Amino acid sequence: MKLKSYLKLFQISNINFSKEIGISSVSLSRYISGERLPEKRILNKIFKLTDGLVDANDFFLSSSPSQDLSEIDKEEIKKMVLNIREGKLKDLAKAITLVESSLKLHNAQADFLLSKLKQNKNSLRVGITGVPGVGKSTFIETFGMSLIDLGFKVAVLAIDPSSKRTGGSILGDKTRMMKLSVNKNAFIRPSPSQGNLGGVAKKTSESIRCLEEAGFNIIFIETMGVGQAETTVYDMVDIFLVLLLPSGGDELQGIKKGIIEMADVIIINKADGNLKNTAEITMLEYKNAQNMISNIREDISPEVFLCSSTESIGITKIWNFIKKFEKIRRDSGSFYKTRIQQQTKAIWRNIFLQSQDYIENNLKYKDSVKKIIKDVEKNNFDVNNASKIIFDSILKRNT
Amino acid sequence: MDRKKLYKGWEEQASRELRDKNLEDHFWETPEGIKVKPLYTEDDLQKISHEIGVPGLPPYTRGPRATMYTNRPWTIRQYAGFSTAEESNKFYKEGLKNGVMGLSVAFDLATHRGYDSDHPRVVADVGNAGVAIDSIEDMNLLFDGIPLDQMSVSMTMNGAVIPVLASFIASGEEQGCPREKLTGTIQNDILKEFMVRNTFIFPPKPSMRIVADIIEYTSKKMPKFNSISISGYHMQEAGANQVQELAYTLADGKEYIKSALERGLNIDEFAPRLSFFWSIGMNFFMEIAKMRAARYMWSKIVKEFKPKNDRSLALRTHCQTSGVSLMEQDAYNNIVRTTIEAMAAVMGGTQSLHTNSFDEALALPTKFSARIARNTQLIISEETGICNVIDPMAGSFYVESLTSSIVEESQKLINEIDEVGGMVKAIEMGIPKMRIEESSAKRQARVDSNEETIVGVNKYKPTEKQEINILSIDNEEVRKRQVSRLQKLKNSRDKKNVESFLEKIKNAASSDGNLLEICIEASKNRCTVGEMTSAMESVFGRHNLSTKTISGVYKNTVKNDGKIDIIDNELSKFVNKKGRRPRMLVVKMGQDGHDRGAKLIATAFSDLGFDVDIGPLFQTPEEAAKQAIENDAHVIGVSTLAAGHKTLVPLLMESLKNNEASYIKVICGGVIPPDDYPFLYDLGVSKVFGPGTNIQEAAIEIINLL
Ligand code: B12
Ligand SMILES: Nc1nc2c(ncn2[C@@H]2O[C@H](COP(=O)(O)OP(=O)(O)O)[C@@H](O)[C@H]2O)c(=O)[nH]1
Ligand SMILES: [Mg+2]
Repeated sequence: MKLKSYLKLFQISNINFSKEIGISSVSLSRYISGERLPEKRILNKIFKLTDGLVDANDFFLSSSPSQDLSEIDKEEIKKMVLNIREGKLKDLAKAITLVESSLKLHNAQADFLLSKLKQNKNSLRVGITGVPGVGKSTFIETFGMSLIDLGFKVAVLAIDPSSKRTGGSILGDKTRMMKLSVNKNAFIRPSPSQGNLGGVAKKTSESIRCLEEAGFNIIFIETMGVGQAETTVYDMVDIFLVLLLPSGGDELQGIKKGIIEMADVIIINKADGNLKNTAEITMLEYKNAQNMISNIREDISPEVFLCSSTESIGITKIWNFIKKFEKIRRDSGSFYKTRIQQQTKAIWRNIFLQSQDYIENNLKYKDSVKKIIKDVEKNNFDVNNASKIIFDSILKRNT
Repeated sequence: MDRKKLYKGWEEQASRELRDKNLEDHFWETPEGIKVKPLYTEDDLQKISHEIGVPGLPPYTRGPRATMYTNRPWTIRQYAGFSTAEESNKFYKEGLKNGVMGLSVAFDLATHRGYDSDHPRVVADVGNAGVAIDSIEDMNLLFDGIPLDQMSVSMTMNGAVIPVLASFIASGEEQGCPREKLTGTIQNDILKEFMVRNTFIFPPKPSMRIVADIIEYTSKKMPKFNSISISGYHMQEAGANQVQELAYTLADGKEYIKSALERGLNIDEFAPRLSFFWSIGMNFFMEIAKMRAARYMWSKIVKEFKPKNDRSLALRTHCQTSGVSLMEQDAYNNIVRTTIEAMAAVMGGTQSLHTNSFDEALALPTKFSARIARNTQLIISEETGICNVIDPMAGSFYVESLTSSIVEESQKLINEIDEVGGMVKAIEMGIPKMRIEESSAKRQARVDSNEETIVGVNKYKPTEKQEINILSIDNEEVRKRQVSRLQKLKNSRDKKNVESFLEKIKNAASSDGNLLEICIEASKNRCTVGEMTSAMESVFGRHNLSTKTISGVYKNTVKNDGKIDIIDNELSKFVNKKGRRPRMLVVKMGQDGHDRGAKLIATAFSDLGFDVDIGPLFQTPEEAAKQAIENDAHVIGVSTLAAGHKTLVPLLMESLKNNEASYIKVICGGVIPPDDYPFLYDLGVSKVFGPGTNIQEAAIEIINLL
C-alpha cells in the first residue's frame, strides 16, 4: 500500500513518522509525493515499521490504474443511498446490481456505497435451505405474507443455480411468490449463482445491508441445499431454517448431513394431503435424532415443526419459535456477539475468495508461472521449490 | 414367387440405387422416437399388436359407427367467436348458410377465467380472442334466431364451465328448448388446463369435483349432450408429439371415469357421452395412425371398468387442424397445409372437424379466410369421393404398423403416469408439462437449425411482402358495450334475489350440492358469470400455477452452425462491459395463457447464456414493471398472443416511466399483426419478434440492442 494511505489509515502524522525513521518531514513529503526515491536503508526501515504493508514496490512501481471514484460518481452514489433510505426500489435494485457486478469499477462503487450504510441491529436475517422442490419459495410466500400482515417489511434474496455449461440461468422463484412479489412491503431479488456459490454468497451479505438500509426488517435468504452455499449463508444470518420433505432419512432427502446439523429450525414441509402421516413420522424421527446433535447455539436448542406452505398450516408455531429464539438471543447478547463474529469470518472469507479468484483467473496465466510448471513437468524442478517461488510471487504482488 | 426371395430382390435393387449409401441411413426417426423404415410389407402386417376389426364394433379401431361417412359425412364445425354476442351471432348465421353444420363457441379470455367484462384485470381481454359472455342476456343474443333444439352447439369452456354451461341451459329454456333436447358438447376438460391451456380458475381438487358435477347432471338430465371433450388438441399445440398427445389424453380420460364412478354413477350411464378432441398436424400418416390407435386403446381402457353397453367403448372425436403448423410468413401456404391436415383427419375417421384459416398466425379469421377454411372441408367432402369408403387406410402395411407402434409407445407413457398414481398426481408433479415443453424446445431447435423445413420460414423464403387483410377488434369499444349492458342488467334485477342465489352457490360449493343445477337457476335469475364464479371462489380459492422450467434441451438439440459461437463471443464482450450477463424478464400480461412461446424463449435464452427471469401468468403491467425493476433486468420481453398488446404494452411503458425506470428496454414477441408494429415502436418498444422468429438470431439482435 502507498505510504500516504498507510499514514491515513493508522492516523500517524508525517512529523511523527519522519522522526521514527530519522529523516526530516520535508524528505518524507518528497518520498510520499514521488519526487524522490528513498534509499535502501530507509526502505528497510519503512518496511519494518509498517509491518510490511509498505514496501519498495510501493515507491518504485507506478501504481495500478486508480480505482478511485470520481467526485461525480461519489455524488451519484450518495444520492442513491438517500433514495434507498426513502424506499425507492429502483435504487435498491441498482445497488444490488453494483454489489453483484464483476466489474472493478462497479465494485469500487459498491464499496463506497457500503461505506455509507449504517449498521442495522434490528433486522432479522433468516437463512432457508432445502433441496429444490421442497417448497422454500412457497414457504417464504406464505410466511412472508403473514409477516407483512403483522407490519413487517420483508425482503427475499433467492440464489438460483446457474447452468454450469452455458452460464445462463432461469430464475423462476417469483412465480411461486405471487402475492409477495406484488406486495409493496416486499422486495424479492433472485440472483444467478454463476456457478460460483461462495462468490455469490459474499455478495449476498452486502446485498443484505442494502436491503436493511431500505427498511426491510426481515430478510430471507433462499439457497438450494446442496452444501457449498449453505455454510457461507449460515455465517451471515441470525437464524437458519432447513426445510425437509415428509420422507425418512437424510439420504432420501438428498440433503447434505452437515446442513441439518446447522439448523435452528427443522421444518417438515408438505405436511398435508396424503403426505400428512409420513410427515408426522418424519418429524418424530428428527426429534429423536436431534438429541444426538450437539447444540451449536449455547442458549436455545433447535426444534422440529410440521408445516404446509400451501395450506398455511404450522406457520404461527414456527413464527412463535423464531420470536422466542430471537428474544432469548437478543436478551443474552449472543445475537449481537454472533453478528460480530460473522464480520470477522467475513473478512477471512473475502480474503480467501479473493486469493482464490486471483489464483484461478490471474496467477495461473502468468508466463513465469507457466514456465515454472513446465519445468516441474520436465523434472527440472521440484514441487516444493516451485510452490514456494509461486507463493512468494503472490506475497509480493502489487498489480 | 416366394415372399422372402421377393424382398431380397428389392433390397438388392434398392442398394444398387443407393450406391455407396446404406439402406439403414434412410430410416426416419420421428419426433415420437418411432423408427420408420423406407418400405413396409406383408411381413409387417403379421407383427402388429392391435386388432383391426370392423367399423362400428369393438374395439372400434376402424371407426365408432358401422357406416361412417357413407351414411353421413363428418360435421363441419368451425370454432368461432369474437367481440360481442351480436357480432358472433351474425357470423354464426353466415356460416350456417354456407355449409357449417354445427356451432362451436369460442369465448373470450375474461369469460374463460370467470371475470365479468368490468373487472379491472381484464381491460385488455374483453371480446378479443373470443366472444364476451357476462350473463344469460348475452347468451340469449348469441343464439338469437338459432333454434337450440335443432342445432348442436359445442362450447370450449373449462374454467368457468359451471356458470357458462348453466347460462347456456337457462338460455335454451328461455328460448323454449327444454334441457333434455339440447345437443352438443361442453369441453369441461380441466386436467389439460393445468397442463397446457391455462384457463383454470380453482385448484385441482374442487375443479375435478366440478367435472364430476357436470358429468352427473348431464347424464341424468341431458341425454344428448356430451359432458366432456377430452382434449389432446391443446397438448399438441403446446408442443406435445403425437404419442404424448395420445397417452396423456387417454390418461386424462381414465381419471374422469374414475371420478364419475366415485360419484356413484354407473359406467354405462356416462361413458357413451365422453368425447375426444385431437389436433391434426402435418405428419400425415402418423395422425391417421394416432386416431386409429386412440380408438383401439380407449376401448381397452374402458373395458377394464366392465361396461355392459358396447357404446361405452367407442371413441368419438372432434378434430382441428393444427394452428401451430400455420405461419405468418407466406401465409397463403397455410391453405395447403390445412388441406393436408384435414385430409388426415378425414382418413382417420373424425366425427367432426374444424379447419383453420390461413391468417391463423396473424389474428382471428376474417369473413374471407373463414370461407376458404370452410370450403376446404366442403371440397374434400363433396368433390373427392373420399366419403364413399370407410377407413380407406386399413390394411396399409405402413399405417397398421405405425398404429401398432403408437399403441406401444403411448402405453409406455400411460404406464409411467399410472406408476405415480394417475394424472392428477402426475400433473401436480409437473411431469407431462415438462415432457411437452421438452418436445417444444426440441422442435424449435430443429427448425432454428434448418433440420426441419418450414416452407417460407426457414427455406424458400418469399422475396416480396404480401399484404393480407386481417380482422381487428376494437376491444375498448366492445368492453364499453359489455360494461354498459352489465350495468343495465344490474340495475334491472332483484338484488336480494341475486344475493340469495349467490349464497346458495356458496353453500353448494362447501357441501355436496350439484353446482350446475343451482347455477342454472342462478343464471335465470340474472346472476352473472363473474358473480357465480366469485361465489365459488370464496369457497375454493383461485389457483396459481407454479412455473417450472426446463433447461439444456434447446442447446443439446440445436446444431451449431456458427451462430452459437457468435452469441458466446457477443456475450463475453457484454459481460466485460457490464459486469454481468444480459438479464431478460419474460412476461405474460393479462389473461393470455399462451405460454408455449414464453417458456421456449426463457429456456432457450438461458441455454444460450442469458440470465432469464420468468414472470407468472396473468401479470398486470404494473406487476411486470415492479418485477423488472427489482430484478434490475436489462430488458423486458413481452410475449403476447391474445391481442392484448395494444392495451397492455402502453400501460407497461407508462408504469416503467412512473417508476423512473425507462432505462429498462422493452421488446415484444408473439402474434402481433405487422400493422401494429409502428404503434409499438412509437411507444418506445425496441423490437418486435413475430411468429417464426429464429431464436439465435433474436438473441444476437437483443445483445446488440443492449
Ligand atoms: C398454440 C396455440 C394455442 C395453444 C396454446 C398452448 C400454450 N400453452 O401455449 C392452445 C391450443 C391451448 C390455444 C388456446 C387458445 N388460443 Co391459441 N393459438 C395457438 C397458435 C396456434 C400458436 C401459438 C404458438 O404457441 N406458437 C409457437 C410459439 C413457439 O410461437 P410464438 O409464441 O409465436 O413465439 C415465437 C415468436 O412469436 C417469438 N416470440 C414470442 N414471444 C417472444 C418473446 C420474446 C422476448 C422474444 C424475443 C420473442 C418472442 O419467438 C418465438 C419463437 O419463434 C396461435 C396461432 C399461431 N399460429 O400463432 C393461436 C392463437 C394465438 N390463439 C388464439 C386464441 C383465440 C386462443 C384461445 C383464446 C381460443 C379461445 N377463445 O378459447 C385459446 C385460449 C388460450 C389461453 N389460455 O390464452 C388466437 C389469438 C387471436 C388474436 N391474437 O387475435 C390465435 C392467434 C389463433 C387465431 N388466429 O385465432 N392456442
Ligand atoms: N402439497 C404441498 N405442496 C407444496 C408445499 N409447499 C410447496 N409445495 C409445492 O412444491 C413445489 C415446489 O415448491 P417451491 O416453493 O418452488 O420449492 P423450492 O424449489 O424449494 O423453492 C411447488 O409445486 C409447490 O406448489 C406444501 O406445503 N404442500
Ligand atoms: Mg425456490
